[in-house]
Amino acid sequence: MLEAINGYLTRRGATTLAWLGGWASLIGFAASALIHAVTPSTYNSATRSVVAKQIYFTAWQILPGFSLFATLLSFVIIRIVVSTARDFGLSDYALETVIRVLVLELLPLITALFIALRSSAAINTEVALMNVHNEIKALEDVGVDSMRFEFIPRVIGGTISVLALSAVRGVIALALAYLVVYGAQFWNFAAFSLVVSKVFSLPILLGLSLKVFMFGLAVTVIPISEGLRAPQKLFFVPIAVLRGMVRLFFVLMLIEVASLAIKYI
Amino acid sequence: MERAPVRAPLIKNLEFKVGLLLALTALITLAFVGYVLHARGVFEPSRTLTLTADNADGVSVGMPVTYSGFAIGQVQRMTLTDSGQVHLLIDIPEKNLRWLRSTSVFTMEKPLVGAAKIKAFSADLKDPPLPANAERELFTGDTAQEIPILVARLKGILENVEAMTQAGSSINQSLASVSTLTQRMTGDYGVMEGMLGSAENARKVVDSIDRANTLLKSLNVVSLKVDSTLAKTDQRLFGQAGVMDSVQRSLNQVNGILGDARESLKKADAVLANAQGISADIKGATTDIGTLRAEVDDSLTKVNHLINEVNRKWPFARDAEIKLP
Repeated sequence: MLEAINGYLTRRGATTLAWLGGWASLIGFAASALIHAVTPSTYNSATRSVVAKQIYFTAWQILPGFSLFATLLSFVIIRIVVSTARDFGLSDYALETVIRVLVLELLPLITALFIALRSSAAINTEVALMNVHNEIKALEDVGVDSMRFEFIPRVIGGTISVLALSAVRGVIALALAYLVVYGAQFWNFAAFSLVVSKVFSLPILLGLSLKVFMFGLAVTVIPISEGLRAPQKLFFVPIAVLRGMVRLFFVLMLIEVASLAIKYI
Repeated sequence: MERAPVRAPLIKNLEFKVGLLLALTALITLAFVGYVLHARGVFEPSRTLTLTADNADGVSVGMPVTYSGFAIGQVQRMTLTDSGQVHLLIDIPEKNLRWLRSTSVFTMEKPLVGAAKIKAFSADLKDPPLPANAERELFTGDTAQEIPILVARLKGILENVEAMTQAGSSINQSLASVSTLTQRMTGDYGVMEGMLGSAENARKVVDSIDRANTLLKSLNVVSLKVDSTLAKTDQRLFGQAGVMDSVQRSLNQVNGILGDARESLKKADAVLANAQGISADIKGATTDIGTLRAEVDDSLTKVNHLINEVNRKWPFARDAEIKLP
């Protein structure tokens, strides 16, 4: 009986420790990545090439398709909000609501989630396989800093990708909102500017930038960190990807909820 | 497995595409920040207007101030002074200042649904412009606060109306009575029949009036007669040779007669005194008695005449009798 309880507690304790260890190594890796990212000596032609490739794969490849999808989604949501607001006689607030919902919250989150599904899963698997195949150790043995040449470029590339995609989508949504609310003419630009100026105060702008930056960091740092922590067995690779994805989803939601709470509570 | 180095040769114009994307992102970000700053009026000279209010319920920073439905400025800052007043600092771009005059009035309306609205009203745009750093009072009209009072009053009114219109209410009864009244008024005796209740009563009144008229005619005749009687009485009593005149004369005569009688009596007294001395002078006595007798006879005649006269003149005392001494 006692042994059973003892065994249970030991297993629980080990799991908790592993979980805490995961977060600790994640935070440690994120800190190290940030330090490397702001260190000028990190950048040379090799790292620039990896950063460029990362941006190409993460942002450029999906730009047309995903922009089309984001436009469609924005259009539907704007139409719903505007027509509902009109029905209730609240047209004055339709534009503000649309901007707040789409540009500030929904589009950055959807962008981050899409990149997480596509690139983060790939990065997680790649790093886990490199780890299993001892490639990281082999690189270090020949004097190549894996952090500097493999991971940091990915983090930088991923973050820039999320920032770029969010910016493009935000502008598309703003233009679409203007067209849906006022139609294809420029007479109401002053009224539109007034709403924009009301929504985008300095704290909101800074908050939005910080949020998107943290989304970008999360979609690359978490998969790399999880991939590195995976035991060097091939059958652990799917588990590492699974854990990484769950943790990434959790972190993205946490950032979003925290940003909402700071803004509206 | 996504391995960048393996795929590297497959990417055409990698640097250009990534550069384009980065440039686009930077451009979008800078342009947007610039646009937001422009929209917030950072590049435009503006003037501040202070509105004072009792409370800032429903006011938020960034709230527009409208003139004729167009936003001309916005709330920049809200402060609570030491005296408990709310100061709203309104930022108004200089190009919109022409809508505000020194006589402009500012109101805040709180509709049932939606946020409060600050509105500016300028009655005359030819008035002198609003001075710099002006301070104006913000008039607040709260629809929501007045609604409960309004509803309570409306309820009272509706109850009254209900009480008025239900069957058997006073107003219905009054209307029924009015209907009866007007119906009666259409009868032979008109309004009078309506007021008195029936045609019979009205006829009685008409008869009474007729009788009163007759009576008045008789009274008129009577009063004429009384008038003439009075005139005659006046004439008899106080007129020339009337009763009063005769009485006056008679009384004068009575006075004279009584004076004469007194004189005669004095003389009789002297005669009696003389009679005492008869023994002494009997001769003289016989002559005196002859004179006395003549005088007494004279007085008697006068009194007789007076009595006759009084009897003739005094109509009321038939049994008048003068007693002589």
